[in-house]
Formats: sequence, structure tokens, C-alpha cells
Amino acid sequence: MKTFNSPFRLIVLLAGLGLAQAATAATAAEPPEPAPPKPFTLPETMEMQLDNGLEATLVPYGSLPKVTVQVAVRTGNLNEGEKRWLADFTSALLQEGTVNRSAQEIAGAVAAMGGEIFVSTGVDETVIGGDVLAEFAPDLIKLLAEITRSPAFPESEAERIRGDLLRQLDVMQSQPQATAQEAFSESTYGKHPYGDIFPSAEQLQGYTAADAREFHEQEFGAKRTHVYVAGVFDEAAVREAIREAFGDWKPGPEVLVNVPESTPEHRVILVDRPGAPQSTLILGLPVVDPSHPDFVPLQVMNALLGGSFGSRITSNIREDKGYTYSPRSTLQDNYRVATWAEYADVTTAHTADSIHEILKEIQRLQKEPPPEAELDGIKNYLSGVFVLQNSSRGSIIGQLRNIELHGLSEDYLSTLVQRINAVTPETVSAMAREYLPIDDLTLVVVGDLETVKPQLQELDWIREGDLK
Amino acid sequence: MRTLLRGAALSVSLFFVAACSGPADTTATTTTEKTGVPAGFSVPVEYHTLDNGLKVVISEDHTAPIATVAVYYNIGFRIEPRNRTGFAHLFEHMMFQGSENLGKMEFVKLIQRNGGVLNGSTRFDFTNYFEIVPANTLETMLWAEADRMSGLDITQANLTNQQGVVKNEVRVNVLNQPYGGFPWLWMPQYANVNWYNAHNFYGELDDLDAATLDDVQDFFDTYYAPNNAVVVVTGDVDPAQTLAWIKKYFGDIPSADVPPIPDISEPKQTEEKIAVREDPLINRPALAFSYHMPERNTPEYYAMGLIDQILLQGDDALLVQKLVQEKGYTAEVSGGINLLGNMFNYNGPMLWTASLIHDADVDPEAIMTATNEVIEKLRTEPVDQETLDRALVKMRSSLYDTLGGFYGFGRADLLAAFALFDDNPARINELEAEFREVTPALIQKTAQEYLRPTNRTVLKLVQDQNPEAASSEKGE
Repeated sequence: MKTFNSPFRLIVLLAGLGLAQAATAATAAEPPEPAPPKPFTLPETMEMQLDNGLEATLVPYGSLPKVTVQVAVRTGNLNEGEKRWLADFTSALLQEGTVNRSAQEIAGAVAAMGGEIFVSTGVDETVIGGDVLAEFAPDLIKLLAEITRSPAFPESEAERIRGDLLRQLDVMQSQPQATAQEAFSESTYGKHPYGDIFPSAEQLQGYTAADAREFHEQEFGAKRTHVYVAGVFDEAAVREAIREAFGDWKPGPEVLVNVPESTPEHRVILVDRPGAPQSTLILGLPVVDPSHPDFVPLQVMNALLGGSFGSRITSNIREDKGYTYSPRSTLQDNYRVATWAEYADVTTAHTADSIHEILKEIQRLQKEPPPEAELDGIKNYLSGVFVLQNSSRGSIIGQLRNIELHGLSEDYLSTLVQRINAVTPETVSAMAREYLPIDDLTLVVVGDLETVKPQLQELDWIREGDLK
Repeated sequence: MRTLLRGAALSVSLFFVAACSGPADTTATTTTEKTGVPAGFSVPVEYHTLDNGLKVVISEDHTAPIATVAVYYNIGFRIEPRNRTGFAHLFEHMMFQGSENLGKMEFVKLIQRNGGVLNGSTRFDFTNYFEIVPANTLETMLWAEADRMSGLDITQANLTNQQGVVKNEVRVNVLNQPYGGFPWLWMPQYANVNWYNAHNFYGELDDLDAATLDDVQDFFDTYYAPNNAVVVVTGDVDPAQTLAWIKKYFGDIPSADVPPIPDISEPKQTEEKIAVREDPLINRPALAFSYHMPERNTPEYYAMGLIDQILLQGDDALLVQKLVQEKGYTAEVSGGINLLGNMFNYNGPMLWTASLIHDADVDPEAIMTATNEVIEKLRTEPVDQETLDRALVKMRSSLYDTLGGFYGFGRADLLAAFALFDDNPARINELEAEFREVTPALIQKTAQEYLRPTNRTVLKLVQDQNPEAASSEKGE
């Protein structure tokens, strides 16, 4: 299922310097200047390709004796057709044993390697992964291959899994943030799997182990699969394990391409949550995706506008007004689509005030290029985050998967800092004008509508008929 | 720790690291076992105490050109003022509102324009502030942390603003969030009897509103002194240079008379407690149970660490096998020792907690019966060596994750806790050996004493305690 933009996890927000610097008191001491940056080189990667089309990337990294392996298969909710969460159901059953081993035996084997494994279902990608002590890298690869290729799909466990997913659905639907995201996604992408994110309970109840088996048979295969290994490992043993574990797998289908139409459009979606002490807001629209040359400047613009602690919107509605705790703007992408949106949970009494301030900050950026110093701060910040993104096993793999998913160029990472630094103040302003036209924004409010509606009425941005 | 529900942190929030899904790797001395792959792991530790009482820990790690600066103050929410619940956390926010040389937002901007991320958090026994930055900016970070340790410069407007922010934090994490305070915020209030352990540490909204600038100044003067703090630096740094900078910037900050920690002990629990709490926002009920932990650093404490691995951590854990796989009561059992941290970074009474969300047609009694089956076995029979070995392997792996996790912050966190609470950060390298001392007999003895039903609190979370009464009221 979709990953919600949970405000309390560590969220990817490329962030930066905020509002113009406040003047320091005349007596204030200046911070010592940093030393020249230390050289940073990207961790080296090694590629492998098998005859059946499966690819692998190995990244020796660090010295802490652990290794991360991820088997990323290009299938997910996108491939379900209208059978919403059939991919999730299939993934859950993947963890219920293989033709050779029971779930309990697998759990014991993983624990003995000092690790954990997971299966995660995304919209575009299903990942079967794990993290174990270094010496077990080849064993983990073989185990993940067994789970990926030869699941048992026991009917005996299907009812329990249906129950788990029903419970999960019910819990998500009680969360105001998930409710808001559902409304925003659907208004952006319609009934496409990128937009229609929740199944009905009846739908979930109908899935059987046979459905999962069929989905797996049709959608999994070597040509859709990329194996990533990062950490401390014996290279020869890992290469051998990948060949042995995946070499005789069927090539399977090519990657499915199914890109939805999405057009920016003024929409107002109100969801009542009577008595709610906060309104959950999303204000956003579709923008260009990561394969477009404007995406990097758009990321810089986002970081400056709302994507960090020091950003303009956060400085305004949190640090000045105190309307909210965790506002943030983000760019969220799927294959060949993306959205920009500001997310905030704001005090009910200040719902319209918050929207007003967000719109004001967008317009200000559209009219005036940001001061050079502010933008330089953002660029430094993004460069620093880039180093962090390449300083852990999990995030290194995350970056590589992202490049693979979007089909970005091989030098994408090595030239990223350069492209960030090429963005000018005028470009930032132009990005805001080009991609955030306020007349085409969609607003979602999940909150106490009795209180919120009269406030919205007062906003110039609201049009006649919006509140019907 | 397994997390099912969002781990709501008392934190200043908004700090962003992309794709932070895996632990950072680190450089350190390694020993090689028979597999040919490094299997032992030891962290370099330099420990100093300055003349003003400030503790300093430095741990080199040259894996990546980054450094972590972490300043921990020995003041947690446990011992905040009685009429000011939530104040320790509110105060944490004030540390970002302005100091002698850095006005409001300037601290944040300084870190960000140097390419770093930052945060602060408030926990049972400490409040921390940290930055993860490109290593070349280390001196700037030390200067900035020293600046706010020297003194705050904030206005009533800053305080009012952060009272608003913190109240919104409580709303988004608890008041408007299904399962929001469950079990991390609620459970200590039921399981403990000493006010220090049993109050609402996120804060009653009235108490948050009542805070004054004088309260802020008093709190700062009382607890935010160098002799009540530790500065930890990890990463790609030169230890001699780092120590010189720390002496330069922190060395002249005067120490203060810090009051002794009050009596935070919990009396021995002698009867099982059952509590029911309403959360009108939830669709499905939930259940949690907690046991008081053995005293920190005792043999039984280490045994509980392994019992946690045996019962709760990983898919092979006995409660997971029983409640998820066998009974199908839930998709996940979450929990562990110290839900706001780990088994090392606290200093006082603590709970071991497990929790799950279940269906309304499953009786919590049935879940507790199944739980008892698993736990009673541990109390009446010694575990087999294979189970214990597996728990040790999982513990070792989890320790490495902590040491390497979050770009080196996990390591800094342990070093800070061991310096503050034990005056011995080198303990970080002794943990594995402590766990290896645990025998099947000690596991059983520990389970007998600490997994007693009479040492337990069960918390049931329901949408409505009296559904029928409520619906008839609505009908009137």
C-alpha cells in the first residue's frame, strides 16, 4: 500500500535556510567559519546481469559487520488492476512459508543470522529485503530468493491475512492524515492505482490464496527484478549466491508501464471530522516527475518554500504563528508522475489563517526571487543531506532504487550537487510560477466543518460553489 | 524495538534525513572470527571531564565525512516541576528560540546552511540536542551549542509561540490521533505509582499554558549547567582538535549547584493491575501489558534484555509466533524495554511493554490467556541453549544497528547515556560480554520474579466503555 506522509517519521524533506536573516545584536559574536569541506566520494558500485534479465548492484560499504540485501521487483499496486491491495495480500502471504520451509522455520533461520526480513508493497515496487550479520550475506540472498520465487501460498493462512489487512484498513481510515491523503490522491489520479488507494472491506474479504498465487505467477520474474547488496560482504560469495539463487528463474514479463493523466485544477475537498481539535490540510497539485530536467530546481524551490525547519512556510505558520507543529511541503513521485503539496495539521480555529499564509508564501516566492544568501543556505543544506543519503546501507540502496525506478541517467548522483548549485534565485522564483499556480491548487481539509466552513468562506481563494 | 504504532517522540520535530531506512556503517577496530568476515566490534572512546564539570566523549569514525554533536542534559521529564506537567519538553523547544549570540531561528539556519540536520528530544532521564553535519563544520556546531549552554535570550512572544506549537504537537500526536498516546504515554500513568514516573509527561494543556518566562529561566539556571551535561562528538574528527575546541567554547561556562535527583523509585508491585481507557477515535480495540524491569545494570537486567529478544523481537519471537502466527489475533506485536528509547538510555524505574491492535470480537482475556501460556513456560522451565544463542545473536545484531544507526547518532546516544548515568562511556564495549554471562537458569529466575502476573499492568484501549449506555443516551 501507499506510504503515507507520516509527519513524525523521518521524512525526506530537502530543506534549507529560512526567512531573511534577522539582524543580530551589535555585540553578537559571529560563529567560527567552517574548515574547507572534506572530499566526498560516492560509494563505488558493482553491477551484475544474469542471462534471464535479472540485474544486481553490489555496494561494499563501511566496516560495521552487517549487510543489507533487497530484492526489488517492479510490481505493486499498479499491477493489481481494480483488485485493490491484492499486491499487499500477496506480499503478506509471501511471508507465510515457501515450498521448502514453513514461516516458523524461516523466522528461526533469520533470527540465527542475527537479522530481520521484510516484504514491503509499494505502488510501483515490491521489495523483499533483510538485514543480517555480515557473515550471512550469501545465506540471506538464498533465503530471499526462495521467498521471492517459491512461496507456498497456504490457503490455511489466508483468512488470518485477510483479517490483518481488514484491521489495517480500518485503522488507517481512522487516521485524519490517511483520510486526507486518500482524498488528495484520488482527486489527482482518479481511479488509477496511484489515486485509488484503499480497497473496500468486501473486496479484501474476497481474496484467496489462489488469487495471490496467480498474481505472483503473472507479475513476478527476473526481468522485473533488481537485487541490491550493501554493507560488509565477501564479494565472490555474494556473486555466486546471486547466480545460484536467481540464475534459473523465469525471465517473466517486462515492466508494466501505465501512467495516469493528471492535470492541475482548482478543487476543494472537505471531509467532516466533527469536534476535531485540528484540521488536517493538504494543498497541492501535480508537477513534473523526476525524469524532467526541472525536477532538481523544483526540489531546491521546495526546500526553500516549505521543505525544512528553516523554510518560509514553516517559519511562518509554526515559528511565527504557532498554528501547527509539523508542517512540511514535499514532492512525492511515482513512475512518470509527481505531486507537490504542503501538509499541515493546524489548530481548528486557524484553519483559514493557515491556508492564507501558505498561499501568501507561494505568491511571495513567485513575485520575488529569494535573496542569494537564503538560496546559498538551501544549496549547502541539500549538499549536506546528499552526503548523509550516501552514508548508510539503507539509504544508499534507497537512492539506487530511485534511479532505477525512474530510469535516471547513470551520472545522476555524481552530478546532482553540481545541478543543485546551478540553480539561481530567478530559477527558484520561476519554478514557483511555472509549477505552483495558485488558481490550480487542490485543497483538502479533514476537520470540524461546522467551524471550518465559515472561516473558508472568508478566503479570497475560495470560489463560489467550493463549499457546497 | 518493534513498532506498530507511530513512535511519537517528544521532540522539536522537523528534521529531515532522506531515506533514512538503514543504519549507517562505521569504522572501528574489528576482530575477525572464523568466517573471514569481521564479527567483533569495538568503538573507540575518549573520555574527559573539564574543570567546570562538563563531561566530554569523543569517538572517531572515518567511514563518511560527517560528524555528530550531541549535548545531553541530565534532566528528563520524570523530574519536571509537579505543577508544570510537560514543562521539560516545552523547555526543550525554548532552547531553539534564542541564545546570547543567535536569535530566534538563527540556530536552525546556522545548522542548515552548513549542510546539517538537527533535533532535540525529551526523555525520561535526559533532554538532548544534536546535529549531524559535514565534518568540516564541527567547530561551528560546538560554538553554537556552547552559546546556548551559556544562556538563553527569549521573549514572552517566543514562549507564547512555542506554547502554541507544543499544544499542536500534543493534538497531532495524541488528541486527534487514534491510538495516539497508546501505550507509550498512557501505560506509565497506570503502571507506576510514584508521581515522577506516573504523570502526563506530554503535559496537560492547562499546565502548558501556565508556564511563564520565570519558569523558563529557573529551569535553565537549575539544570542547564555544564556539570549536569555531557558533550559527545562522533564521526570523522580529530580527537585532540575536538577536545581543544570544546575546552575553548565550553570551558568558561560556570558550573551550578544542581539539586539531587529526587526519589524516583517505584515500590514493588504486588497485585496485577487492569486498566481500561477510552479512545473515541479508534475503530478497533487494542491491548498492552507491561512489567516493571529489574534494576538497571544488574544480571537480571541483562537477562531481561535477552527475554525481550526471546519473547518479542523478530518474527521467531515466542509471543509473535503465538499471537500472530498461531492465534491470528493481530498482525503485529510491538514493544520492548523503554518505548521512548532503548534498554540503555534511561536511569530509573522502567517498563517492559508489549502491545497489539485486535478485533472487537476477540476477548482480551483470550489474548492474555495465550500470553500467559508463553510466559509461564519461561517461568517454569529453563530455555534451551539454542533459544538463548539465538537471542544473543539478535541482541548482537541489534547492538550493531544501534551503534551504527542514524548516521552515528545511535552511538553518540549510548555514549552520552553511559557518561551521564554511569560515568563510564566505555561501557559501550562491555555490553556484549554482559549478555554472554546470562545463563538459562538466570533467564528462568528473572522470569519468575519479573514476569509475575502481580508485577504486571494490563491496559485495554476501547472506543467506548459502555457502548449500550452511550447509544441509548444518544437516542434521548
